[in-house]
Amino acid sequence: MPLHLSESEIVDRAALLPAFPSVVNDILQTLDDDNATLGALIHLVERDPVITARVLSIANAAAMAGRTQRDVRDMQVAVSLIGLSKVRETVLGVSLANFSSESRMGRHFWEHSVAVGVAAQELARLGRISTDYALVCGLLHDIGQLWMARCYPLEFQMVRLSLSLEPTLDILEAERKHFGIDHCAIGRLLATAWRLPTSVVAAIQHHHDAHPPADKLVAATHVGEVLANALDLSRQDEARVVNLSESACDLLGIDWNDDLNYLFGKIEARARYLARIFS
Amino acid sequence: MRQHLRYLPLPEVVEGMVLGAPLAIAEHGVTNFTLPAGHVLTDSNLRQIALRHGEFACIAEDDPRSDEAREAERAHHQSRLDTIFSRADRSKPAIAGLYAAVLAYRSL
Repeated sequence: MPLHLSESEIVDRAALLPAFPSVVNDILQTLDDDNATLGALIHLVERDPVITARVLSIANAAAMAGRTQRDVRDMQVAVSLIGLSKVRETVLGVSLANFSSESRMGRHFWEHSVAVGVAAQELARLGRISTDYALVCGLLHDIGQLWMARCYPLEFQMVRLSLSLEPTLDILEAERKHFGIDHCAIGRLLATAWRLPTSVVAAIQHHHDAHPPADKLVAATHVGEVLANALDLSRQDEARVVNLSESACDLLGIDWNDDLNYLFGKIEARARYLARIFS
Repeated sequence: MRQHLRYLPLPEVVEGMVLGAPLAIAEHGVTNFTLPAGHVLTDSNLRQIALRHGEFACIAEDDPRSDEAREAERAHHQSRLDTIFSRADRSKPAIAGLYAAVLAYRSL
């Protein structure tokens, strides 16, 4: 018998998760705000001591590489050394890494999330859309699974067991069998409750769709997850490619007959690099 | 000896390695640091790349494997790929294209 969960129960149960890092919303808002200043970004970074320490650490590593021999302690200097886009990427990655870690998810879950985030970023570059939005979508695309594991661990294990006993079973079907709802739908509810932008909500909701809506961010997240699995980036036995939307590939301008070795190599190397930086 | 390409995160790139593809780093959409394919990386290059927040490099390396060993490794990759694609319809052009592209990448 599947669970019978109302939408409000699902959102209420999210209280069992750590508080969602508000800095993610704040950073995404600065991207949409033409008047957002460098000072505003520094203010956001300095609100969180863990993120502040990580940004300063990266700035000091860059300063050491350049033999500038200075100990960077000032955030304005750090941001000027690292660059705005790298600071934004670091803040988003570190804050969501902390969120995943405090939710007690396994290493594979986070590695897969980073891999999808990086793949979505590179596809976003092809499609000429925001790489920060794409990173957030990739890092959060399976947030519904994190909720399942934390709120109903027994049912979550039963889904895993069903998948191992029936290799042809679709993961969304297995989840509906035990939860009455799948992780994409739960992800939509959580992302909406956390007031994430509607485009991010749509990417989380539709990342498994065989025919996702014609939106480049949804397409980058959908194809990003397929690529992360095809390239076996998190080396999980259960990695599978099931659907790949032709229209999503067309929307991003991907031609599978092109030489894609450099794109794949970049995704694989950056995923390993950023998994270290964020964690 | 034959060579093969590897894409490495920057912390794994060391002095003396040879670039297998041009390295270009851009800031604010403007390329401000480039090195050509075939360039032998120096300690100074690595510091410059780190200072500019480079994250990875494509490296060309001698490939000491015999033809048999290379083919065995390719077969291993293909077997894993067959498992990953076991539930996909490979008659669909996008799926077939992705499968072929990943196999080509794993055969570098």
